[in-house]
Amino acid sequence: MHFAGVDIGSTMTKVVLIDETDNLLSAIKGPTGPEHRQLANRVMAQALEQASLKIDDVDFIVATGYGRVNVPFADRQLTELSCHARGVFSLFPDARTVIDIGGQDAKCMKIDNGRLIDFVMNDKCAAGTGRFLEVTAAALGIRLEDMGEISMRATTQVQISSLCTVFAQQEVAALLSRGEAMENIIAGIHNALAIRIGALAQRLRIEPRVVVTGGGAKNTGMVQAMKNKLDCDVSVPEEPLITGALGAAVLAREVYSKTAGEHGKPSTGPRRLEQATFFSEERP
Amino acid sequence: MSEDSRGISRARQIYLNRSKRARELKAEGKKIIGYPCVYVPIEMLTALGLMPYRTCGDIREPVTEADRALPGSFCPIMRNCLDCALKNKNDFLDGMVTIHSSDPQEKTARVWQSYTDHPYFHFIDMPVTTRPEAVQYFTSQLNDFKKTLEEFSGQALTEDRLASAINSHNRQRGLVRQLHELTKPSPPLISGTELVQVVKALMSLPVAEGNDLLIEIIGEAKNRTDGPEKKATRLITWGSTLDSIEIMQLFEANANVVMDESCGGIRAYRAEVESPGDPLQGLANYYLKEITCARTFRQAKPGEARKDYARDLQTRFGYLEGIVREWRADGAIMLLVRYCDPFAFEMPSLKDYFDSIGVPSTYIEYDYTIGALAPLRTRVEAFVETIS
Repeated sequence: MHFAGVDIGSTMTKVVLIDETDNLLSAIKGPTGPEHRQLANRVMAQALEQASLKIDDVDFIVATGYGRVNVPFADRQLTELSCHARGVFSLFPDARTVIDIGGQDAKCMKIDNGRLIDFVMNDKCAAGTGRFLEVTAAALGIRLEDMGEISMRATTQVQISSLCTVFAQQEVAALLSRGEAMENIIAGIHNALAIRIGALAQRLRIEPRVVVTGGGAKNTGMVQAMKNKLDCDVSVPEEPLITGALGAAVLAREVYSKTAGEHGKPSTGPRRLEQATFFSEERP
Repeated sequence: MSEDSRGISRARQIYLNRSKRARELKAEGKKIIGYPCVYVPIEMLTALGLMPYRTCGDIREPVTEADRALPGSFCPIMRNCLDCALKNKNDFLDGMVTIHSSDPQEKTARVWQSYTDHPYFHFIDMPVTTRPEAVQYFTSQLNDFKKTLEEFSGQALTEDRLASAINSHNRQRGLVRQLHELTKPSPPLISGTELVQVVKALMSLPVAEGNDLLIEIIGEAKNRTDGPEKKATRLITWGSTLDSIEIMQLFEANANVVMDESCGGIRAYRAEVESPGDPLQGLANYYLKEITCARTFRQAKPGEARKDYARDLQTRFGYLEGIVREWRADGAIMLLVRYCDPFAFEMPSLKDYFDSIGVPSTYIEYDYTIGALAPLRTRVEAFVETIS
């Protein structure tokens, strides 16, 4: 049997296919962003291709993430919070706290045996999200993926006083013109972001093991700043972008087995491998 | 439209076109008086044949005009409410009564007075504690209100007239409570979304017409077959004002909302005015003590210095336990409107209270616009996933 998890985030779409014993068959990620959202179905098609499967070979599909609502090829929707919790639990069975630094939100989850028990999210402002890193990388004229490595060369941390994504950009420009070293500025940015996300996380009582996921977890400087801020070790999955999709796939298997046990094979309806639409588009 | 879905559907129509009835009555010569907050004792208006009309914001309306009068980091509901007034949406009003129920209400009152030209305007000062002296002071303020109303209407506000108006409004409170009995079954016989429409309709009609509407709706809901779908989770909501179905629909996409403890829900109807003696004092007592809005400072014993957090929580929020148990709620959503300090300060204590009675709770903050509902949807769904 085959199960799929589709995590349509604000920036990236991630698809994971597993079998009935949770073996990974394929894991694919591709851009979603507003201008590319039609690619969500292509990411799904690629994942199927990699696993040599057709959409109808998949027994149950769970969609999650910001774009989860109108996925024409999914059987069930669950929030990314429950999916991250479940995905991280598969990789780290002793995880109690998950911090996800995503493209447009940051969230902290408390988990108990893989079950989401409490959570906090940032408000709709971009402060404390991956967008903050994207915007400042652009202001510095460097690539997002190089930020971590550059920051590791820092000799000191520049204080970034504004957590507002717009004002931080100006502050970065001012620091550059003052002659501050790039690596020290980036280290300061990571620190500012870690303070913001750490404060969010501390609203829940943080318990080890702490796992950091999402695009932010791919940035080594950011992960180091989180360790410093939380004053504890943090773990990062090998591929921190796919934990939501992995959790969705595992939950797809669990929902399927539970329903099959109680009421027989769940009906999955017709699936169309077509583009997903976002919440805002269903509103008048 | 089928015969048995008349009242609920009529409430929806009134909700969608709130000022229609007020405009009709205005054309017939009736005077319409606006009030932005349920702390205004509308019995006094009804008693003089004036129609109370609750002025609300419109969550779909982008605030543009209010910016010239109010700061941006300010109660978004009052901003929106004033914005509607500045766009002449309340041009049928003959007057406006505002009250010091919160600082934004008080600050907006002055702006309201200078930017609009209704023939009648009155501001009621309202104390913030429930001490006996506060009730006395509030009674004296209602007496002042009475004088300006008498002058405006050219009639005397007699005790008989007031007692009769109090009766009609108490009857409305009783009927709203009866209506909420119908959310006790599972699935409820009336949805949270429908209740938002009904309550807003009541705040757009003369009391007698509102009572007729309620009787019709109660009869209809008891026998309906097209009621809300049963959801796995039953929730109550708590907050300042929940007056827009868009927010309620967000909650009801994943759960049945069986009670809204806000001034767009049950809050103005939970208790009744008792006035064995002076009706003004009866009103003062009721409005100051019985409306459970965060703006009023409540103590187990007024003026007491002893600290006892558990007893304090019981005094402030104890009434919620009965609601949770009787309506068999699985969880509670605390809905905060951005910049609403009184409710924001109350929230951590209320969270402790819900924890103490074993009720899962979460808080959702919004800024009274429909632009950013998608992230709220994720919070609500995730909360329901944690408790179901």
